[in-house]
Amino acid sequence: MEALHLDYLAVAALFGIGLYMLVAKSNLLKKVLGLNVMQTAVFAFLVTSGMVRGGDPPIHAEATAPPYASPIPQAMVLTGIVVAVALTAVALALIVQVHADYGTIEVDELKERP
Amino acid sequence: MRAWALLLVALAGGALVAAMLALPPVGALEAPVHEHVGRAYLERGPDATGLENIVTAVLLHFRGFDTFGEVVVIFTALAALLGLPLAGLAPGRDGARGEQAGTDDGSAETPDIPISPVVRYVVRTLSPFIALFALATLAQGHSAPGGGFQSAAVLAALFVALALTAGRRRAARLLPPTATAWVQASAPLAFVGVAAVGAATTGAFLGYPDALPALRAAMSTALEIAIAVGGAAILARLFLALEG
Repeated sequence: MEALHLDYLAVAALFGIGLYMLVAKSNLLKKVLGLNVMQTAVFAFLVTSGMVRGGDPPIHAEATAPPYASPIPQAMVLTGIVVAVALTAVALALIVQVHADYGTIEVDELKERP
Repeated sequence: MRAWALLLVALAGGALVAAMLALPPVGALEAPVHEHVGRAYLERGPDATGLENIVTAVLLHFRGFDTFGEVVVIFTALAALLGLPLAGLAPGRDGARGEQAGTDDGSAETPDIPISPVVRYVVRTLSPFIALFALATLAQGHSAPGGGFQSAAVLAALFVALALTAGRRRAARLLPPTATAWVQASAPLAFVGVAAVGAATTGAFLGYPDALPALRAAMSTALEIAIAVGGAAILARLFLALEG
């Protein structure tokens, strides 16, 4: 039970909120927002997992000393953020295109079209 | 639909919490993430890369391939966006924007909701400091929190703030169309260049010459600058494109 840290519970909650937005909302823009919330949950989880209690950031300087937080999750999250930005940009562009072509970005209205 | 979604969320959340129960405690130094390569990077990082910030060292040296792919991904996103026939993205629109300035009655400059003078003044007053902060973030990336990507994000945020307050057309002047294509591609191009230098000096793609610390530092710095400038240019262009 020790593992069930409050941060991890917050991550699970954030992930659930994002997943709900992605699945239940009919508005494409809200779906993308939900996807972003889910991504944020994953980033928070990764960074939390690399943390050390009472540790320093992974920078070798005079002011820091071991134990250091693990640098790998932080570097991975940096990569992940960039990919998330790229994904969001393309998704938003496609939504703009859908709106230009059909005049709506509601999925249930789009489904009724031939 | 909503009930199914809630069921799905409950299942996913339950699976997540169940999996989290099996994780090592938060912040424990015995966790696997602090063993193996993580520890090796921390111990060997400064000597092997010349960088004190191990996150930067992981990004540019130990996992340089990942970062190469990363900058290609964001560049590809921009290319995909510019390839879509969006209303605001027609070819030559950048050039046409300037020409239409007189006839366009400045409608693009007058947002539906007028910008508050307070906001405009604050953004204008703070922008040099934001730019300076971006520069500092970039310059200290080797030895303190910061680096190319963070600097790019700050610069792009500055551009968005300026575009929202000073008007898109005036902000777009910061991105002259003739230069931006190369600037936007600068991060992937810099990686190719550095990889070529590495191949020439060490025989390995993206290898860093440990025997030549000055060259090694120059290669890291070139990558960081290219990531900052190129990333900011790409993010700014993405914003302009989506603002349509």
